[in-house]
Amino acid sequence: MSATRGEHKQSCEGSTLSGLPSLIVAAHELKSPLALVRQLSLLAESGDVSPEDQKRMLHQITLTSERALRLTNDLTKSVRLPDALFTLEPINPHQLCEDIIREITPLYKAHDRKVRLVSQRRSLLLVANRDLLRRIIMNFSDNALNYAEGNDTVEINIKTINSGRMVRLGVRDYGPALSIDLLKNFSKKLTVATTPIHARPQSSGLGLYIVNQFADAMNGKIGITRHHDGATFYVDLQASKQLSLL
Amino acid sequence: MSKSILIVEDDKWLAENYSRSLVSAGYDTTISLHAIAAIDIIDDIHPDAIILDVLLTGSTAFTLLHELQSYDDTGKIPIIICTNLASELLIDNLAPYGVNKILDKTTMMPDDLIAAVKSVLL
Repeated sequence: MSATRGEHKQSCEGSTLSGLPSLIVAAHELKSPLALVRQLSLLAESGDVSPEDQKRMLHQITLTSERALRLTNDLTKSVRLPDALFTLEPINPHQLCEDIIREITPLYKAHDRKVRLVSQRRSLLLVANRDLLRRIIMNFSDNALNYAEGNDTVEINIKTINSGRMVRLGVRDYGPALSIDLLKNFSKKLTVATTPIHARPQSSGLGLYIVNQFADAMNGKIGITRHHDGATFYVDLQASKQLSLL
Repeated sequence: MSKSILIVEDDKWLAENYSRSLVSAGYDTTISLHAIAAIDIIDDIHPDAIILDVLLTGSTAFTLLHELQSYDDTGKIPIIICTNLASELLIDNLAPYGVNKILDKTTMMPDDLIAAVKSVLL
């Protein structure tokens, strides 16, 4: 017996693999970069563009594909997370963020945007898995690129909180402010995240759902600070006591 | 005089591509990356047609559609929805909001945009 449309939707959304959000959500999230790559390719191969424009389009195709691949890689990692073995180690957040900035600068530059690190030179070490933490900050940075406006620089900031017991890594964008309702909804969903978490209206919420899983696996927490001219998405992680033992 | 087209699309690269196609077909274009800014631009330039994405930064296209329908002059501007969600939208439901055409971003060809603009400006 074939399912009705409503039943099909319910079964898809309910068919989670170890908490994997709906396949529909994942498919939707990948539609945008694929549609963009297709449009760019069609124009680039049409022959109606100058060699300079064609070169720029090919670069945009590369960068858009890389963003889509990051999402699929994160999704795969998120599904395998419960069974995965990974190490938590002391990490220098300053160095990690500098590496991330180096990696994402070409993407930001292609969008005529800038990203910079705001941090004390000697940040406390934190306890995390390098790969998962990198994925979280990359995700926040991709998100900030979508929502930042004008020429304002996106900031990756590092600070200690809770009297030095925790380290907060945040990505600050200067875009439209989050509504209070969305912020409340976000906070509530973080505590019971078995579905995608929407922080902005046009987002499918898949990225935040994934990074919440990553943070949770490292005993960390993600959150948002609302500003009148944008938002900071952050992850809080335990500071390393390694130095205090010396 | 060239017809003026407002492109409301939060993906800058996609918006630039639409613009490039339309300019080559002889239209003047203006890009708005979100709906709130689009309202101000519409007041300034009074576009002959609007190409509108559905999921936008800050608020969705429906906020803008409601706003446009609130005034006699803006309510008459033809709208072409250009979205990844085309399969979930019905033109009959959106026609009362001034939507004349729906294009599917995932299947459309660059010329489809020009054809759609031509048809709504007839």
